[in-house]
Amino acid sequence: MKYDVVIVGSGPAGSVTARFAAESGVKVLIVERRKEVGVPVLCGEGISRKIDEWNVIEGTRWIASNMDGARIYSPDGTMVKLGAEMAGNETGYVIYRDIFDQELARQAIKAGVKIMMNTNATGLIKEKDRIKGVRVKQFDDEFEIEADIVVGADGVESKIGKWAGINTTLKPKDLETCAQYTLSNIECNDAYCDFYLGKEIAPGGYVWVFPKGKDVANVGIGILASLSESGMAKKLLDKFIENNSNLKSGEPIRFLAGSVPVSNPVETVRDNLLLVGDAARHVDPITGGGLTHCLEGGKIAGETIGDAVDRQQFDQETLSQYEIGWKEAFGRKIKRNYMVKELLLDFDDKTLNMLADSLKDVKFEEVSTLGLVKALVFKHPTLLMKLKPLMKISSEAKE
Amino acid sequence: MGKPKANVDGKKCLACGGCISVCPQDAILMIGSYANIEKDKCNSCAICIRMCPVGAIAGEDN
Repeated sequence: MKYDVVIVGSGPAGSVTARFAAESGVKVLIVERRKEVGVPVLCGEGISRKIDEWNVIEGTRWIASNMDGARIYSPDGTMVKLGAEMAGNETGYVIYRDIFDQELARQAIKAGVKIMMNTNATGLIKEKDRIKGVRVKQFDDEFEIEADIVVGADGVESKIGKWAGINTTLKPKDLETCAQYTLSNIECNDAYCDFYLGKEIAPGGYVWVFPKGKDVANVGIGILASLSESGMAKKLLDKFIENNSNLKSGEPIRFLAGSVPVSNPVETVRDNLLLVGDAARHVDPITGGGLTHCLEGGKIAGETIGDAVDRQQFDQETLSQYEIGWKEAFGRKIKRNYMVKELLLDFDDKTLNMLADSLKDVKFEEVSTLGLVKALVFKHPTLLMKLKPLMKISSEAKE
Repeated sequence: MGKPKANVDGKKCLACGGCISVCPQDAILMIGSYANIEKDKCNSCAICIRMCPVGAIAGEDN
């Protein structure tokens, strides 16, 4: 079996990479270890409205609800409201992630991509250190799939990168460990994505409540693995739901666990190999959101593969067009937000409460950066010291 | 005899893959619908035990 490209993983990054490669005439195969694309849904299911501009997905079947913005609750319950244009980064739509993934896969297939389900990648085929494809296992059959390029779209637990000699092992402080319900029989009449912060609520992370309808929401928790104890994510999520008057009556129609990398990106290119999506650690370290990067990065990866196959050159230098592209598109943002994440982790509950108290009445749409700083410091002068490093990062980012 | 090695309870594991991504020994593989730990590679660091969101991994005396 020989293809131009074999992609391991049929998530958004894999499907979008596949589609754009196939549209430039490349012969693509996706292998997927699961029995259904998009299932289980390991996701909070929020996505930016930016997706509208990219033209990567058809129809509206994948949209559960439209959001007006986000509300962030500090440990003492002080609420900061962000309009869609401010919060839009992660909270434009709440989606049905299973349908979303299947739509993206369908579009890849329409472009000529082949998919093999129930198929585990078990290793890379190498010839004199050169990658020549992947070894796979489908039920009891083991066989080889030859390809000029292998794409690791195999998610947070990526093995493809490791097999190619890229160190993708995450430190516990760079992983959010998550648990998530779809809760029915609750009341969520407001079109806001809610985030709850605090050491007791979700150490090093947050609880989210993303409404998918009037009486149903995706309710989940992410905590930093370095602050976790066995089973803590589920226990804290259950405690939160029990103590929340709107959610207490809820009954789950889905329960899942997941993990989200919140690290700096890794190297994503070798001779004959690319990494995309969570496997490339293309996640915003502050929010844990990665969908938009998958779509943007996947498109760049697909186009790079198209060029490479056209020229029949598969070396690292040729494929580096992809790494240059994603660094330009969102790499700097991830790097900056990683530094911000590290600083935010040092904020205790008291500082978060002061921050929220300073920001609760700010009209973000109208206020300048300087106005924002003034509002922060006016109420709680001690915040100035805490925020200094943050302001430094943000002013460097503008240069 | 040594420190307890990590062991996955296949009935509790939800196959999220988090343990695989943090294992410094690369000792964990997803086989079928749950994570499997290669005992020979495990160095008893317990990172996976602490991070498991549903408490599906425990130390096991060998």
